[in-house]
Amino acid sequence: MRNPIMIGERLYLRAFETADAETLAAIAATETDTFMYRGRKPFSPLAYERDIGEAYKGDYSPWIAFIVALREDDRCIGQVGAFPIDYIHRTAETYSALGPAEFRSQGYGTEAKHLLLEYCFDRLHLHVLRSSVFEANTRSVAALMKQGYREAGRLKWADVKGGRYHDDLMFDVLRDEWLAARDAWRAANRQ
Amino acid sequence: MRAVYLTGEQVSLRALVAADKECAAAWFDSPFPVNAVRAEAWLKEAHASLDRPPALHYAIVRTADEAVIGGVTLQTDYRIGTLTLRIAPWLPDADALRAAALRVLHPWLRDDLELMTFVIHIPADQPATIAAAEALGMIPGVRLREAIARPGHRVDELVYQVLLTPWAVRDA
Repeated sequence: MRNPIMIGERLYLRAFETADAETLAAIAATETDTFMYRGRKPFSPLAYERDIGEAYKGDYSPWIAFIVALREDDRCIGQVGAFPIDYIHRTAETYSALGPAEFRSQGYGTEAKHLLLEYCFDRLHLHVLRSSVFEANTRSVAALMKQGYREAGRLKWADVKGGRYHDDLMFDVLRDEWLAARDAWRAANRQ
Repeated sequence: MRAVYLTGEQVSLRALVAADKECAAAWFDSPFPVNAVRAEAWLKEAHASLDRPPALHYAIVRTADEAVIGGVTLQTDYRIGTLTLRIAPWLPDADALRAAALRVLHPWLRDDLELMTFVIHIPADQPATIAAAEALGMIPGVRLREAIARPGHRVDELVYQVLLTPWAVRDA
């Protein structure tokens, strides 16, 4: 493992390095799903390099970002993070993006997100986390429910998809709820 | 400098000016101290272009005497807006002043900017602002549990949204 910060059974989380920019651009360029946002678009590695340069300038950053890497070969299979982090009210919005597509639907996303939530709740001592999902992204909604998130409501007309307005769905999770969800996920994985 | 279309009985809004660096604690949206040097740099950065910036910033002034008592930020793509209202921390009636500012802003966002929708995050312990939002036809679309820290306890954060006119625009 390279510079790990959070370690799970199959995955670990580490800081972004400049060399990850090419990998992240390649993941974006090979996206196969179209339902998650208004539309796919390629990103330059230069944009990722700039963001990576901004992410680790100091402590108490409003943005925490991790590469999700496989323990078996250190391969980068996505990213998770929190933004913005409010250190006064101890809240943050979490996000995750897993790819390439062959790594989806195998539990990697849930494992990565549990590591992120552990970092947010037990290392940063945040009190509550939230997440928003474009309503067409039913896969992410199902994933959030498995991680302990509860529905908090919806914001109407968030964006256009297929010529119609769609909503953003909002979720939040408290530490006890996340712990219960993680225990259930671990128990299910042991069976 | 006060905008005639953003003038209410109790509070009004105007563009921020260079001299506002001297009273940044009233309008700068941060719990941390801000001095004139930092405020001046921020003002220049925030007003670097007239060409549809992603955020618009204004001062909230007391209509009676033009004293700066707060600040407004509107994050917008010019279809959806997110309002943030700050009232100077030393004022005891912040909730009522925030409500008054929201009442001034609502018709401007609806009729001048013609936003499709806008949202505002309101702590659940601010009844005047909540009442103003609901009187303006805003609906509580989201309740984020325990999202706001208060001395010794936490309160929920409500996200109110107003749905104005959906964009289905024809040629003039």
